[in-house]
Amino acid sequence: MRLTDALRYYVNTRVMGWTAIRVNRLYSEMKTRFRKERKDSYTAPPLRISSRTKEMIARHYLDGRFAKPYRKVAWVTSGAPVEILNALGFHLFYPENHGAICGVSRTAEEISGEAEDAGYSPDICSYARTDIGSALSGKTPVGKLPPPDILVACTNICQTVLYWYGFLAHHFKVPLILIDTPFIYTEASDHSIEYVKKQLEAAVPIAEGVAGKTLDERKLKDFMYKSRIAMDLWMEILGRGAHRPTPISAFDQFIHMAPIVEMRGHSHTIDFYAAMLKEVDRRIAHGIGAVKNERKRLLWDNLPIWHKFRFLSETLGKHGVVLAASTYTNAWAELAPMIDPEKPFESAARAYLHPMLNRGAGHKLNTMRRMIEKYSLDGVILHSDRSCKPYSIGQMDQRTLLMSEYGIPALLLEADHCDPRYFTDARTTTLLMAFIEMLGQ
Amino acid sequence: MHEALTSIPCRREIIRAHKESGGRVAAVLPIHYPRALFRAFQILPVELWGPPEIDPQYSKAHLQPYVCPLVHNALSYITGPESEVFDLVAVPHTCDSLQGLCSILTDLILPRQPVFPIYLPRGRRESDAQFLANEFHALYRKLEALTSLSPSEDEVMACILREEDADEVLAELNRKRKFLPLCQRDFYHLLRSREYLPAERFCELAKSFLAKAENESRDKGLPIILSGIVPEPMSLFEFIERAGGVVVADDLACCGRRLYGPGEDNDVFRRMAKSILSAPPDSTRGSSIQERADHMVRMVKMSGAKAVLFYCMKFCEPELFGHPPLRDELNKINIPTLVIESELSEASLNPSVGSLELFLETILCG
Amino acid sequence: MIYTAGIDVGSTYVKAIILNENGDLVGSAIHSTGFLIEETSKNMLEEARERAGINSADIGCITTAGFGRSMVSFRNTQVTDLIAQSWGVRALYPATHTIIDIGGQTMKAIRLDDGGRVMNFRLNDKCAAGSGTFLEKTAHYLGYGIEEIAPLVERSTKAVPISGICAVFAESEVINHISQGEKPEDIMHGAMLSLTERSVSLMKQVQMQPEFTLVGGIMRFPVMARVLRESLGGAANVPPENLAQFTGAIGAALLARRHLEKKTD
Repeated sequence: MRLTDALRYYVNTRVMGWTAIRVNRLYSEMKTRFRKERKDSYTAPPLRISSRTKEMIARHYLDGRFAKPYRKVAWVTSGAPVEILNALGFHLFYPENHGAICGVSRTAEEISGEAEDAGYSPDICSYARTDIGSALSGKTPVGKLPPPDILVACTNICQTVLYWYGFLAHHFKVPLILIDTPFIYTEASDHSIEYVKKQLEAAVPIAEGVAGKTLDERKLKDFMYKSRIAMDLWMEILGRGAHRPTPISAFDQFIHMAPIVEMRGHSHTIDFYAAMLKEVDRRIAHGIGAVKNERKRLLWDNLPIWHKFRFLSETLGKHGVVLAASTYTNAWAELAPMIDPEKPFESAARAYLHPMLNRGAGHKLNTMRRMIEKYSLDGVILHSDRSCKPYSIGQMDQRTLLMSEYGIPALLLEADHCDPRYFTDARTTTLLMAFIEMLGQ
Repeated sequence: MHEALTSIPCRREIIRAHKESGGRVAAVLPIHYPRALFRAFQILPVELWGPPEIDPQYSKAHLQPYVCPLVHNALSYITGPESEVFDLVAVPHTCDSLQGLCSILTDLILPRQPVFPIYLPRGRRESDAQFLANEFHALYRKLEALTSLSPSEDEVMACILREEDADEVLAELNRKRKFLPLCQRDFYHLLRSREYLPAERFCELAKSFLAKAENESRDKGLPIILSGIVPEPMSLFEFIERAGGVVVADDLACCGRRLYGPGEDNDVFRRMAKSILSAPPDSTRGSSIQERADHMVRMVKMSGAKAVLFYCMKFCEPELFGHPPLRDELNKINIPTLVIESELSEASLNPSVGSLELFLETILCG
Repeated sequence: MIYTAGIDVGSTYVKAIILNENGDLVGSAIHSTGFLIEETSKNMLEEARERAGINSADIGCITTAGFGRSMVSFRNTQVTDLIAQSWGVRALYPATHTIIDIGGQTMKAIRLDDGGRVMNFRLNDKCAAGSGTFLEKTAHYLGYGIEEIAPLVERSTKAVPISGICAVFAESEVINHISQGEKPEDIMHGAMLSLTERSVSLMKQVQMQPEFTLVGGIMRFPVMARVLRESLGGAANVPPENLAQFTGAIGAALLARRHLEKKTD
């Protein structure tokens, strides 16, 4: 590593970039402070922390942009065991999160079109299609993506990542570390835990080779410890949704989940969520709800429909309907108790085996039952996401069972988390109106 | 059906005979699983690749339309009256859709039979082989509980050796395919009888056909390789033949990707695991694009194929991701390729026939 | 003089062409395909022959192409649409490397090498949103006939976006736009753009290279040719008048000539 590379990296990011981003954040905070509340809005003004979320994401992408040649870059799946990579100093890039940014910024259709033009079927996951399109064309709404030095795919969210990262490995000609996490139909067998642990251990020398460093176990423990604190905080925040009126909606959670996915294990992520928790508590103290005149509270199942955020929040908010909880954002909180920094490999093996998406349909049903009770919910929207089969298969039975057990309406909403071509405002409005009517007065 | 094929007993017959002899029958979903282990417990594994022609009304109430037709059909079949003959259902963890199927069967739909998942690792590392061996050991315990039988290691090994013999005969059939007095559809009918025949019966049958092998190649037409999951509907072979093509090798999940070599290990569980991991590259087992491409290029060279047909099941992600890079690699050696999609049924294949004809005729005329 | 005939039996129209020894077009005819494929093909051949003013005996070879190529019993030879199109198009525009052929039911992108041989091709998937029928249906919803499509789109000032990944979805979008009070010309324009996007995507899938030539029934609408040409960056050949519909038949007639020549060799 050359000293000038390091210098260039720090000047571009920490000195110039971060300062610019901070100024931008301060300016936007100031604007928010003096902005009058919009009377015509059905939802509370955005959380004040929002400008910090933006700042964190912007910094993260800026770091990526200037990472080379000073820092090694790892492209990872959302469920990948990143603590090892963090401890080795990798810059982490999350193609799924980038996919979500493309969805929100409505560039996913164009970028995934590049993959379709290259012969990729519109029937494959839209995150993967967007990522492949980006890799092939260089198109991205964030300026420039840092090419990977290593890829880490963990099958605990789906098998799609296997084929997706297979493409990336082939395209970028870099090593792929596969962490295969056997699906848990009932409970994790000992040999499954052992298997994952062995793979984690075997991943270390490969990652070390790419990083050109040896793993410092103290650092690893530190990252695990901080990950756990951040996850605990995130869980606290989500739990606050149980208050009436609910201070933050699932839409807020979707927006503010990026740091827990991408930047867990860092001190600034802990500070961020601590500040967010404070703000949420302040809202509770002042009786501020995420939706004005909260009337009905819903559970959201599956990934968000990134490209229809505003449409959905306004359509629901207008009728006093709030999404008080979501199974999706919960996924980054529920594993916290399994993490034990003193047993980094064994506890990571256990934790990374247990994300909701790696467990049976019955487990998800039970999670939904618990949430309906804990958050006193009046209905469920199950987003049937054609791009995410592991999440979506089972929803039809889960819907029927929840409706009969709790006597509450549940709506199956067909769409796609990134691809807008499977969503029409008119059709969805009709469905939502009928559903809201079913929720009653 | 070719006259010679009347000698192949049908599924129903085999299932009935096995049950009458006091054995059990398992319905097994695609792709890889330890046949010998089931046989050691006197369970006959009978594979479910769909089945192709079934009314998916039932599954439509449980699975979204973007789930693959094989899984839709399997759910309709398992919950329908015809599956009563099965004593258990085994679901290898092949892809997200089969994972989902197994999960809803275990937790939400609960068919009359017990459902046993089999997890397949996505690599070929030592840790993968050990895990798979452990997984088979766990399956042994479950089958033991179900049947109250405890086959000894020697008994399991005897079953393994029998399957290895059948695998060898299957490979021989593939090597001699062009010398056999069978049309393409009948040949695949014979290959696919391995999906339900006991290994010893399959060996017997296959050898009777191998004995009829002729000295001269019967292949007439444009030699092609068929890649995909399962060649259903089987009329696909007739369409290929009519358009002037002949399948000289395949990369089908139900056939060519299951040409297992013998597992080299004395421990029965490790031996079965290693055998499965020795099979040709397969998207669902995590083979890299390069491995798959190299394998296909090798197949093209060995078989003299002039084109590759990717016959894809709708919504099959493991396959869909592979097509563009594999086509690129084949393109580099001037092998034209075509992708056609179907949903297992005759009706879903028909619209693609025109495309298939265009493809083969254009190469033939060119 | 010995003449040759090419009949392109498409899913929507049957096109017949007669060429003289010099390759000049001396007669043509077109009619919707219907159910009686053999009869329609026969009638079209007769019509083209009468226009050429020649006797049946003057036709030395009849070559068929198109989806119904093998259903015409009086043919002498048959070729695929891909080869027929490549010959027909190359005769008109010898530097063509990529052809997009948009017909009633199918859309084909064909990539040719320098010698005019088919290197690669793609058909649209089975969804009807990728063919001429989609425009026809959209026009139908809007209460217009097929021939009114062109003048309608000419009036449009903006295109209403229609995703068109699937015909069923696209139709519901069209209906929604109607109820939202969008102008029919703008909706029709949007449908046309959606079709254009699909064709460009198909062309990209065969690694398109210039020159591009646009053919097929849909090109009889000058506005479609214009929109497609624009999205290809300006340069694309479109056969004049209604020849865009006949390139397959022309190619078949040229191949019939080659067949005759080979026989006499």
